[in-house]
Amino acid sequence: MEDLTSHPQDARGAMSSAGTLSDDELLGRFADGNAEAARVLTDRLGPRCYSVALRMLGNRAEAEDVTQEAMMRLWQLAPDWVSGQAKVSTWLYRVTLNLCVDLRRKKTPDRLSDVPEPEDGKASVVDRMQDQARKDALQVALAELPERQRQAVVLRHIEELPNPEIAGIMGISVEAVESLTARGKRSLAAILAGRREELGYDNDG
Amino acid sequence: MTDDNLELDQLFAQARQQRPALPDDLAVRIQTDAEAVRLNRMKPAPGPRPALLERLVRNLGGWQGLSGLVAASAAGVWIGFSAPAFLPDPVNLLTSQETAYFVADLGYDTSFLEITE
Repeated sequence: MEDLTSHPQDARGAMSSAGTLSDDELLGRFADGNAEAARVLTDRLGPRCYSVALRMLGNRAEAEDVTQEAMMRLWQLAPDWVSGQAKVSTWLYRVTLNLCVDLRRKKTPDRLSDVPEPEDGKASVVDRMQDQARKDALQVALAELPERQRQAVVLRHIEELPNPEIAGIMGISVEAVESLTARGKRSLAAILAGRREELGYDNDG
Repeated sequence: MTDDNLELDQLFAQARQQRPALPDDLAVRIQTDAEAVRLNRMKPAPGPRPALLERLVRNLGGWQGLSGLVAASAAGVWIGFSAPAFLPDPVNLLTSQETAYFVADLGYDTSFLEITE
């Protein structure tokens, strides 16, 4: 960053310095036809986008689709992006969350059909649930949270974003973010306590 | 409740450590999209849709095709009014009335005459 501020012209000229540019500047360069800028932006923002989508949806294929779509919207937006008005990552998180909500809403009517039929009765369902719970108790519990609480908890406690940025992403006040994360945490703790007894993953977890 | 919170904090810490990397094939797909958008933007923007007359002219083979068509039409009109000698006069063809005589119209007597001849 120091290099960038002290020798802006050099930094702008050299391709190897693309990694030191801000998201804003990279997006501007991409809009000007620079392919390298897109690669750096993908490396920088793609994983964050994918991580959030995966936590929100709990499904890799869906998270991949959402990530690709969110990044596609970023590429298309590039020429119209007003530098300095908002953080690119804030915008991208918001688009990602909205795409996740849209996907879940579309899926809701036939959600039951997504659950595979048990092959030999009740036992296999319980086995599968125990297996999944052992693998990722947090994911199972997150799935039970209301949408907004889940968003706030994922952004705060897994993505480790500061509350003001979460407020910007979710379009609410910082106080509302604090309230959502607190309620979300309480619900998660209660869900986990209930699950622990129900599934017994404490015994050999 | 404190134990639950402790467990929850541990799960969060674990989740932060296990944050997934971007799958390689997804990174490739994202890059492919970016490249398509970039190349598409570099193409010159298509102009406005041409006017009706321009599209008509283009479909008839451009200005060359149209001039040929105009010449052929003018020749047709000229021949219509002032035909060369080896062609029948079109005006005459339209206006002349041919007179037909039918033997049967002359009645019984004529047929008798024909027989006697």
